[in-house]
Amino acid sequence: MATPTDTQEQSSDGPLQRWTQSAIQNPDKVYQALFYAAMVFFLVTTLFPFYWLVVLAVTPEGNLLSGSFLPTVNLFGVSGTFPLPVPKGFNPGAFVTVFEQVPFHLYMLNSFALAVTTTVIVLFVASLAGYVFGRLRFPGRALLMLGILAISYFPPAAFVIPLFQAFAGNAPITIPFTSIPLFTPPRLLNTPGSMVLPFSALFMPLSIFILTTFYGQIPDGLEDAARVEGTTRLGALFRVIMPLSAPGVATAAVLTFIAVYNEYFFSSIMATSPEAAKWSPIVGGILSYQTQYTTQFNLMAAASIVGVLPVVILVIVAQERIVSGLTSGALKE
Amino acid sequence: MARVRLEHVTKRYDDQGDVVTAVDDMNLDIDHGEFICFVGPSGCGKSTTMETIAGLTIPTEGEIYIGDREVTNLPPKDRGIAMVFQNIALFPHMDVYDNISFGLRLRDYPQDEIDRRVERAADIVQLEGMLNRMPEEMSGGQRQRVAIARAIVREPDVFLMDEPLANLDAKLKVHMRTELQRLHKELDTTIIYVTHDQEEAMTLSDRIAVLDSGQLQQIDPPLTCYNEPDNLFVAGFIGSPSMNFVEGTITENALETPNFSLEFNPSSIDGVGVGDDVTLGIRPEDIYPGELKSEVPDPSGMITATTDILEPMGDEIFAYLLLGDGETSMSQELATNDQLLMSIDPDSDLEEDDEIGVVIDRRNVHLFDSATGEAIVHDLIPYEAEGTASSSEVESDD
Repeated sequence: MATPTDTQEQSSDGPLQRWTQSAIQNPDKVYQALFYAAMVFFLVTTLFPFYWLVVLAVTPEGNLLSGSFLPTVNLFGVSGTFPLPVPKGFNPGAFVTVFEQVPFHLYMLNSFALAVTTTVIVLFVASLAGYVFGRLRFPGRALLMLGILAISYFPPAAFVIPLFQAFAGNAPITIPFTSIPLFTPPRLLNTPGSMVLPFSALFMPLSIFILTTFYGQIPDGLEDAARVEGTTRLGALFRVIMPLSAPGVATAAVLTFIAVYNEYFFSSIMATSPEAAKWSPIVGGILSYQTQYTTQFNLMAAASIVGVLPVVILVIVAQERIVSGLTSGALKE
Repeated sequence: MARVRLEHVTKRYDDQGDVVTAVDDMNLDIDHGEFICFVGPSGCGKSTTMETIAGLTIPTEGEIYIGDREVTNLPPKDRGIAMVFQNIALFPHMDVYDNISFGLRLRDYPQDEIDRRVERAADIVQLEGMLNRMPEEMSGGQRQRVAIARAIVREPDVFLMDEPLANLDAKLKVHMRTELQRLHKELDTTIIYVTHDQEEAMTLSDRIAVLDSGQLQQIDPPLTCYNEPDNLFVAGFIGSPSMNFVEGTITENALETPNFSLEFNPSSIDGVGVGDDVTLGIRPEDIYPGELKSEVPDPSGMITATTDILEPMGDEIFAYLLLGDGETSMSQELATNDQLLMSIDPDSDLEEDDEIGVVIDRRNVHLFDSATGEAIVHDLIPYEAEGTASSSEVESDD
């Protein structure tokens, strides 16, 4: 607060007014304050659910439904409700039980395999598309790009029924509005094919857009040099253009991986029941802790935490890659 | 033997409905071991021509042969060529060793062979001890040398160089120029070199191919292009500063221009008739101050002029002369007819705005047809008439 040595006007101002005064002098202060406010907001909204999962996971099953997670605390004679939920008891065994009750590691493996396969397919096909859209000039390019954009706006649910029918492999596909059969698809339900195919198609447009931008920025001279040195156009794409676009490729890969790893809608339908042997993914596994009569929230929470870990690790590793790719000035010619 | 032949090569682009002809019916025959320069202003088709030879562009019409093979539609990797690019185009994610060995590794050479060749290439371009550096850690000249090493390591039949020195500073350029000549001597490979710098072309090449608007204007040894240009374009492009052009008309015994007349005998020269409109071309070094008239082998009559600007270069002075009344105004651009550029001795005591007399060496006057731009003759006084020795030197190149 103001001391007697301060000037008259300052001594009459409160701390907020003084802060405002100095912020007008130095606007950086405001930006910094806004930055911290936004940071706190995002940290709370992203980390609180995670904290809540941890609280649920370590609470013994018997205590889940009785009493409040917000304990009453008595501090110096004043009693009040503690503002953060705390575990009611401590049972870390839930993290072991999740694997005993349900083969949760198999579900994780399913999700992981589906995500990796989809990412590889998407990166390969989107690289070819990105090369064409980013580096070649041909009539109809803008129109084709627009078509891809339009398709990516379709709600995935629109594809579920026809795809399910097709993947069931019972009836032949006919030409629309006629009964002329074209071909009978193989039965893909409960196999990775029924999930990887729609995932790849759904997540392709985003990767195409990312890679088009990155591949388009590689100087023509580098591609020409690679071709003169002995690669084909494709060879130049995979040996020179793709490594130089590492940040973009990493971004596309991480986004695709996470999207497929978290996917539930298609996989819950394409796997006819949530069993690991039918390629049901993580979410299917988590839901298996729920039976007709009981819902083991603590196990579901523990399984969710275990399931998130690989993605957290991946993002941390890939992020370092992305940052290093951006700062090394790889594209400087 | 890597002879390179282009037969009727034409490249047209479709630029939003407009057809642009970048290369127009190009015919070239380049011998094994020859150093050929393509020169011309920007947009003349020299780079496109080179790209068709490299295979980066497929010609619309015509055939290309390297050695005995037709390569018109072959991809670049199967043509036995190596190329050095204007923007150097080193792969930024590979170190020098990987850059140089890229082509060899693609072709599955054994490791010891790759090492041996990279070592030798690095030795030729003086890059020893830098094989582990990344391109971004190197200077422009070093990067250019890596690019050249990358080209020579594959021991190609033909080298293509697309303005490889364009991005280097003047001093480095001259240095690399001599290195390139040394390299050519050492490797004995056909080199095709694209440049817009006629000086580079003059100093480097065995023959110069002068291109303009997609068409080959002349292909000859540098001095032939300089002394006997086929047309106005070549005459103006080769030589720095460029040739003076003055338009005039042939009369019975002289060439009449607006400001002076040059006496000669039109009947002694084929292709010139009285009344023809011609353009006189004279190089700056073939104009002499009047007091040196006695030393000029075949001087013209005295032409009066006023010095306008003097540009001392050290070893010579370029003097811009105004013909006629000598009046200039800054606002009005000088007609080329009224101006001559003369190269004089640096010790000359000429001042700006002096009124002087100059003479032209009639042996080195070029005449061009004003309508077509084609060269008619390269000396107003036929050498045969005088019986001098210098004629054989110039004409033996034909």
